[in-house]
Amino acid sequence: MRLFIFAIGGTGSRVLKSMLMLSAAGVRPLDENGKPVPNLELVPIIIDPHKGNEDLKRTEALLTSYRMIRSKLYGNRTDVDGFFANRIVTLREIMRDSSIQLNDTFIFNLSAVERNKFREFIGYDTMNEANQALSSLLFSNEQLENKMNIGFVGSPNIGSVALNEIKDSNEFKAFANVFNAGDRIFFISSIFGGTGAAGFPIMVKNIRQAANLDINNRDVLRKAPIGGLTVLPYFNLELGDDHRIDKADFIVKTQSALYYYKETLTGANDSNLNTIFYLGDQVVSVPYLYDPGEHGQRNRAHMVELVGAMAPLKFAGLANSQLSDENGYPLPSSAYEYALDRDSLNVDFKAFGAETRHLIYDKLVKLHLLFIHLNTGFKDTIGQGYTNDKPQIKSDFLASQFYRTLSGEFMGAYKDWITEMYNNMRSVELFNIGEWDMNKAIHDVNTAKSFFGRKSVDNNVFKSVMNTLSQNSTYAPDEIEYKFLDLFNRAAQKIIDERYENIN
Amino acid sequence: MKRVVFLAIGLVITLVFVALSYSQNSNIFEMLYFNQGFNDQLYNLNVYPMVAMIVAGMAWAGAGVYYYVINSVNFDRWFHWAGVLGVITLAAPVVCYAVINGILKNNGLDYTGEAVQFIMQLFVMTAVLFVVASFSMRWWSTNCRHTPFPQ
Repeated sequence: MRLFIFAIGGTGSRVLKSMLMLSAAGVRPLDENGKPVPNLELVPIIIDPHKGNEDLKRTEALLTSYRMIRSKLYGNRTDVDGFFANRIVTLREIMRDSSIQLNDTFIFNLSAVERNKFREFIGYDTMNEANQALSSLLFSNEQLENKMNIGFVGSPNIGSVALNEIKDSNEFKAFANVFNAGDRIFFISSIFGGTGAAGFPIMVKNIRQAANLDINNRDVLRKAPIGGLTVLPYFNLELGDDHRIDKADFIVKTQSALYYYKETLTGANDSNLNTIFYLGDQVVSVPYLYDPGEHGQRNRAHMVELVGAMAPLKFAGLANSQLSDENGYPLPSSAYEYALDRDSLNVDFKAFGAETRHLIYDKLVKLHLLFIHLNTGFKDTIGQGYTNDKPQIKSDFLASQFYRTLSGEFMGAYKDWITEMYNNMRSVELFNIGEWDMNKAIHDVNTAKSFFGRKSVDNNVFKSVMNTLSQNSTYAPDEIEYKFLDLFNRAAQKIIDERYENIN
Repeated sequence: MKRVVFLAIGLVITLVFVALSYSQNSNIFEMLYFNQGFNDQLYNLNVYPMVAMIVAGMAWAGAGVYYYVINSVNFDRWFHWAGVLGVITLAAPVVCYAVINGILKNNGLDYTGEAVQFIMQLFVMTAVLFVVASFSMRWWSTNCRHTPFPQ
C-alpha cells in the first residue's frame, strides 16, 4: 500500500518533519491487530508556493537525508524493523509513465503560481470592467498585488483560486497515474492560514471529481480512501509592521473554514473525506516572528506537530472496512480528536496517553540513545568488539556519506527538533536537553533498581550488548551501515527493557 | 569451524608439551637448560610432568579468566591482554620454583641456584602457552574475542 501524503503550507512541512523523526525512530503504522502495516510506502508531496520558507527547506533537506540513509540501510525493502523503517519515496521514483517530466523531489512544482502577482495570475488587467469590479470585491488591493512566491499570506481566497492549477500539473498527473486500488491519500494542512486552508479542500475536490479530468485511474481516485489532518490555531505571532497575517484573525478564519469544510468535506453524509483528524491547542506557542521573506518562517517545532505526525500513521493503519463500503465506495467522514493524558504545560512521555506511549516511547528513546552514542561513544568503539566482526566497521566509516549524513545532518536536525519543542509552549520535555548521561537522559524516567542501587546505562553497556548480539548475527559484506544500526537498535531495545523503569 | 580447528590445535600443542615432559631422551625441559645432577633429580622425582601441568594449567586458566571472567569492554584492549599475559608469565614460574624447591628440600637436596636458572625457560614456555590458549579459546568470548587483535 502507498500512502500519498500531501503536506500543504508551512504547517504541512512542519508536521511532515515530525513524521520523519518518528519514522527515523522506527515508528511504523500499526493495523487494528497492532501489527505493522505490511508493504507500506509513504509518498510525501509538499505543496507550498513559498519556496523561501525555512520550514519547507528544513523538511526537504531532512527528507533527502532520510531517503539517502534508508536507501543505504534497506535498499527498496519495505517490511523492515528498526531505525528509518518506513520507506519514503518521491513520485518520480515510483512513476511508471516516463512521458511525464518530473524532478526527483518531494516538492510539488508550482512555478506557474509562484512567479506571478495574483492580479497577473487571474488576468485582472485584461478583464472587462464588470469582472474587474467583481474581482475587486472579492480580493483586496493587497491581495491582488501579492506576489505568490511567498505563499498566500493567510488568504485562502487567493489560494483557492491559485491552487486550482494543481489539477493540470505534471505532479498531479503523475500522482494519478501511480495511484492504485488499495492506496490511500492523506492531507496535512492548517485551517487558519492561507495555503493549507485553501489547498486541502481543492485537492480533495480534484481527486473526487477525477472523472472530469484527463487522467488515468479516475475511478480508483474517485473511490480512494482520503484522510486529513486539520490543524487548528496553535501558534502565536509576534506583532510586527506587516499585518497581512494577524493572529487575531486565526479564530475567525478557522470558524469560517470549518463551516466550509462541513458543507463540502465532512458533513454527516459526505464521503469526500473519510477520516478527519482535528488537532489544536488552546495553549498557544511562544510567539513566532512573522517574516514571509526569503529566510522567513523558521518556526520552532511544536508538540501539536508531533501529535499531528501520528495522524497519517493512524490513518494508514485503519481497516479498509472503516474507510470503504463493500462496493469500495468511500464511507462518510469520521472525526478523530486527541487529548493528553495529563494537561500540563510540560509534556513528557507520561503526559501522553497509553496508546501514544506504546507507539512512540521505545522508538524515540532508542533514537535519542543513538544520538547520544554517536556524539559521545561511537568513534572510540571503532576497532574494538563488534566493529571487528565481519563486515568490519573501520575508521573510514566515519568519513562515509552515510555516517556524515546520519550523525551530522540528520542528528543535527533531530537535536534542533527536540530543543525547539522543549523551548516552545507547551514545552515538550521527552528528554533532558543537553544531558549526555544516558542514565539521566529520559525525562522523569530513571534506570531500573538493582540490588546495589540503580542499573547503569552508558556507552560501555551498549558496546557490551552489541558485542553479544553481533556474535550471533550474520551480515553481508555490503551491510556495514545496516549492521551498525541493527545492532544498536536491538541493543537499545534490550537495554530499555532491562535497565530502565517501565512506563508503558 | 575455524574456531574449533584453533581450539583443537591449541589443545594438541598443549598436550604435546605435557607429553614431552615425560620423555626421557628428548624432554622439553632439558632442551633449553641442562644440569646433570639437578635434571636427573627432577626426572627421577617426576617433577617435569608436574611443572608442565602447572605451566599449561596456569596459562589456560589465565586465558580463561581473561576471556570469560574478566570479559569486559573495559578490558578489551591489547594492553589489557598483555597485562594478564605478564602476570601469568611471572606467576607460573614462581609457583613452579616453589614447588620444585619444596620437593627437592623434602628429599634433602639443595639446588636453589640451579632451580632459579631452570625456571628462566618457563617464562618463555608460559608466555607461549598463554598465547596458544588465548588463540584457542578467545572466539567465544563476548567482549574480548578480538583481543589482542581482530579475528
